[in-house]
Amino acid sequence: MREIVTVQVGGYANFIGSHFWNFQDELLGLADNPESDEIFKYHNLDMNVLYRSGETHMGMPTYTPRLVSVDFQGSLGSVSSRGTLYNEAAAPPGGVSTWIGGVTTRASEPLKKNLFLESLYLEDEDVGITSIDSGKNSCRSEIQDKDIVECLENGVQYWTDFSKVHYHPRSSYELSGLWMDIEDFDNYGVGRDAFSGGLRGEEICERLRFFIEECDHIQGIQFVVDDAGGFSGVAGEFLENIADEYANIPVLLYSVHSPVTSIDPKSRKQTISRKLHDAVSFSRLSAFCKLAVPVGLPSFSRSRASSFLCIKDEKPYHTSAVYASAIHSISLPFRMEQLGPSAQSSYTCGAMAVNDLVQMLAGQAQQNMVSILDVSMPAPSLTGYPVPQSLLENLQPLTPEIAEDVEDFQAVESMTVHGVYRAGSQRASVSEVKDAVQAAYDKAVTRPKFSHLSVARPPLPVPLPFPSIFGNRVGQHGELLDMPISDSASRGSLEVHSIPMAARLRSSNAVLPFLENRLENLRKFGIARGAIGMELVRNWGFGMDELEDMGETLSKMATTLMPCSGEESDSD
Amino acid sequence: MVKKGLRFEQLTTFAHHQCAWFLCIYGINSQAIYAFALLFAFHVAAANGKRKNKPFQKALKPSSHLTHARADTSKPYSHLDLLLQFTRSENCDTMSLRVLNPNAEVLNKSAALHMNINAAKGLQDVLKTNLGPKGTIKMLVGGAGDIKLTKDGNTLLKEMQIQNPTAIMIARTAVAQDDASGDGTTSTVLFIGELMKQSERYIDEGMHPRVLVDGLEIAKRATLQFLEKFKTPVVMGEEPDKEILKMVARTTLRTKLYEALADQLTDIVANAVLCIRKPEEPIDLFMVEIMHMRHKFDVDTRLVEGLVLDHGSRHPDMKRRAENCYILTCNVSLEYEKSEINAGFFYTNAEQREAMIAAERRSVDERVQKIIDLKNKVCTGNDNNFVVINQKGIDPPSLDLLAREGIIGLRRAKRRNMERLVLACGGEAVNSVDDLNPDCLGWAGLVYEHVLGEEKYTFVENVKNPHSCTILIKGPNDHTIAQIKDAVRDGLRAVKNTIEDEAVVLGAGAFEVAARQYLVNEVKKTVQGRAQLGVEAFADALLVVPKTLAENSGLDTQDVIIALTGEHDKGNVVGLSQHTGEPIDPQMEGIFDNYSVKRQIINSGPVISSQLLLVDEVIRAGRNMRKPN
Repeated sequence: MREIVTVQVGGYANFIGSHFWNFQDELLGLADNPESDEIFKYHNLDMNVLYRSGETHMGMPTYTPRLVSVDFQGSLGSVSSRGTLYNEAAAPPGGVSTWIGGVTTRASEPLKKNLFLESLYLEDEDVGITSIDSGKNSCRSEIQDKDIVECLENGVQYWTDFSKVHYHPRSSYELSGLWMDIEDFDNYGVGRDAFSGGLRGEEICERLRFFIEECDHIQGIQFVVDDAGGFSGVAGEFLENIADEYANIPVLLYSVHSPVTSIDPKSRKQTISRKLHDAVSFSRLSAFCKLAVPVGLPSFSRSRASSFLCIKDEKPYHTSAVYASAIHSISLPFRMEQLGPSAQSSYTCGAMAVNDLVQMLAGQAQQNMVSILDVSMPAPSLTGYPVPQSLLENLQPLTPEIAEDVEDFQAVESMTVHGVYRAGSQRASVSEVKDAVQAAYDKAVTRPKFSHLSVARPPLPVPLPFPSIFGNRVGQHGELLDMPISDSASRGSLEVHSIPMAARLRSSNAVLPFLENRLENLRKFGIARGAIGMELVRNWGFGMDELEDMGETLSKMATTLMPCSGEESDSD
Repeated sequence: MVKKGLRFEQLTTFAHHQCAWFLCIYGINSQAIYAFALLFAFHVAAANGKRKNKPFQKALKPSSHLTHARADTSKPYSHLDLLLQFTRSENCDTMSLRVLNPNAEVLNKSAALHMNINAAKGLQDVLKTNLGPKGTIKMLVGGAGDIKLTKDGNTLLKEMQIQNPTAIMIARTAVAQDDASGDGTTSTVLFIGELMKQSERYIDEGMHPRVLVDGLEIAKRATLQFLEKFKTPVVMGEEPDKEILKMVARTTLRTKLYEALADQLTDIVANAVLCIRKPEEPIDLFMVEIMHMRHKFDVDTRLVEGLVLDHGSRHPDMKRRAENCYILTCNVSLEYEKSEINAGFFYTNAEQREAMIAAERRSVDERVQKIIDLKNKVCTGNDNNFVVINQKGIDPPSLDLLAREGIIGLRRAKRRNMERLVLACGGEAVNSVDDLNPDCLGWAGLVYEHVLGEEKYTFVENVKNPHSCTILIKGPNDHTIAQIKDAVRDGLRAVKNTIEDEAVVLGAGAFEVAARQYLVNEVKKTVQGRAQLGVEAFADALLVVPKTLAENSGLDTQDVIIALTGEHDKGNVVGLSQHTGEPIDPQMEGIFDNYSVKRQIINSGPVISSQLLLVDEVIRAGRNMRKPN
């Protein structure tokens, strides 16, 4: 088995992670449930890749994500950082067993659990006591579901508010004692200090070591970081540690950015600080991973990726759901059973380990380790009806600042398609998808040098706490309809139960503007003589030579992608 | 020193230039070097309107989408609420700054000063009850029901979400104190608070802060000199006096844990430090591993001479217990890694792929074989065992090979444990299997595994001449364990300091009273003019330690101070008995504090207070801090 350990650093990364694990939990639940669709039962996806089995002190078996999550203290809302799974029966009476003098208790007001968490909690209590009048119960819970969806729609504040997953007590790490407002935790420098301050860095690395030690044969680390603020500094230092300690484990990095953080800053000073931060953060983070995928459009609702969706940019709960879906799709090949190249499976095809993906996308002639994430959600049926474009044309980028319609003969792509329809409401078989995609590539105007396809049967299951982000042309099983199904603009988890998906990682020179922008900002505000942000970067703890190194690396990354150099290598 | 506390970047550039103009620091007149500009940008938490009574909240309330964006961290624990009162006064400086930067806000003289004094006092109030063996322990219950238990000023400060800039400055000083010497956080905060409080009296009477600060500086220097005379030298030599080490450790531990538990730990921490101590080398406390286990009822701590690792072997056939073990400490990958060639495109059929995998597998097996060869070399003909502890991974086939030879293999050991293992067992850590020889091997009399649910522990014990050891803490729950851990760390630091200082200071408030008497009776006379008052303020502020000790014991502070100073005037160096309230001889009771801790408190307290006292205006730009709603 080839394990993956997931790391989530920062608020938005945890929002995405929370959705991601909800999908996994839903998949696990559907596989066990006798009433669920056949397609979820035999999917040939090995969940042990992402999950670990353990047991509590009481001997109860557990199954929890291999996950290290880092966030602010207090960001877990009403959920305890230790989770509830490993709780001992009851705290010993008397409380303090180490002191016989006075005890002052300072209790902050308990945060109220929202309806959803409340219902989960009740469910846990009820386990074992299967009620006799289950019919009545289910009727009542039906009503509750509606309330839950509405409650989440209006009031998600913490990422734990909509999480239905039991985490291992060592998973959540809270940064405490920072003594600053979250708004000031907004640049690489403070994050860096936060990681090295106290024993925090060491404790975080210990958490990771706990999960890695268990792995017999780890295939990679999936690292999601909210790179908009100080957390990218935390992640940068963390990654440096990982690269040092686990040199042979490939790290797949998603640096995510919430649309909320892309709102125009108030002052010029902030603008410069932010631009410098983005440049520094990108070059530091990419230095310690094998493949970097920048994710996060400045405005999601206006992007083409949301043509069938109905998303509110200001809600991280909404936007993170889409990013999580895409990351879920990309992660599917890592869990497929590895077959020999000639073997065929009717459930999946195109299994890959993290390292294979990294080598394929970043290890080719251009050595481009920055990939673009594209998604089609929901993916149209193979025949294209009722959408005029084909599957390929429907893939829209989630990576910001990229060029469109570029011709790149060196491009390499890896696509995952799962749960799509042949036509109407008939699921396509693996080989049909393969043929259709092949045909689409043949017809396409620009063709990549190489493309890899992974296909899985199960679509993306939509769990109850999934936000109501589907447009009114999306059917119950994610099929696209030719006319709106209902009056209300958005449909949620009660109306839509699963979604066919396609997602693609693409290594192409379309990413050039992204790199150039960062390089230019770094030069203009940080490196150039008398640059306005020089002092700022020094405060973050970077010397001139470090900045110049960063600039050089960035410019090297950019030049290899320049079309002219591409042609040169094409000729040999 | 307080780089982080000052938020220059939040000021507009323009305001920044003008500040030099408007901060008429008192220092300019007296040509002092401490011209210190304090520019505060107020940070008020994005509290989502939770803090209704804050006067300067509304303007800062983020637009609603922001509160969604980042999970709100404002109040996980009930925290310090420092309400600052300002007097509303506008003067011409303010006006002119307003003209230059309409967003800048200014608090002038007395308002600025009182803001600082109030913050210091507020922080002092929070930590006051912590001090001494009769203080109260604090139980912090978070919004999600998480419990934190602490009696340590340092831990408490870190748990608090301090927002007030002055309080942050003080807290940073106090935490720096802890980083440097491992103790004295609470005392530092108390001392700074008291210095501010004493100074306030004089300033309210019209005294100029500059003069007062001069007096504080004189008193500080005199006190440091006095400390040199007052300290009790301890000769360390080859074999340190264990009794004195234990007394210092006991003094700190008894302020954190109840007596019986503290006394049990006293021996442990003293022995631990002596174990890792090497002559002529600084003591590296990281060589004491602190390991914990959750145990249902037990609160127990023991010293393991050797090492406890928090993982076990990952093979069902490996022994769970072995005696007379050779220990190989290594950092060698014993797992099959996909090399870059094997990326998926370079083979065309299954056979080729298999062949490639087999070739790579072979090189891993060869490395394992070299370890097995070494084992056979040293273990043939005797019933000794062989244990491999590797920092890198060991995959199941390699584990299989090792298990078949009766070797115990542990993978992914902590980096620090590599160093500790070598110090505990001997031998050396190897980075490659090419030059393996019996000299690399360490030795342990006993290696065994302990399993608790899914947690495994490996004990490496009965080692010869260890220079690394483990303190194993058992506790019923996480917060108890965390609290004991903090206490153990403090105890270790206290012992280490004693060895390195080669001196201790009489505790129970004896030093503070003696220093105060010295300042009042001797130093004050030698000072000219009003700076005398500064010396007096300093002297009185020193008494905060015995006063708080008395207060926490439920004694009358005035009675206690009178009794103590009376004894000192008679020439008896006494401290305060927590039980009776009577003066006692700390030497007899074995109450000693660290010299370096005391020195640091005396040093840092006045520096930070002086800076705060000299602040004449607080300017911040961009946000509104004064307009109520």
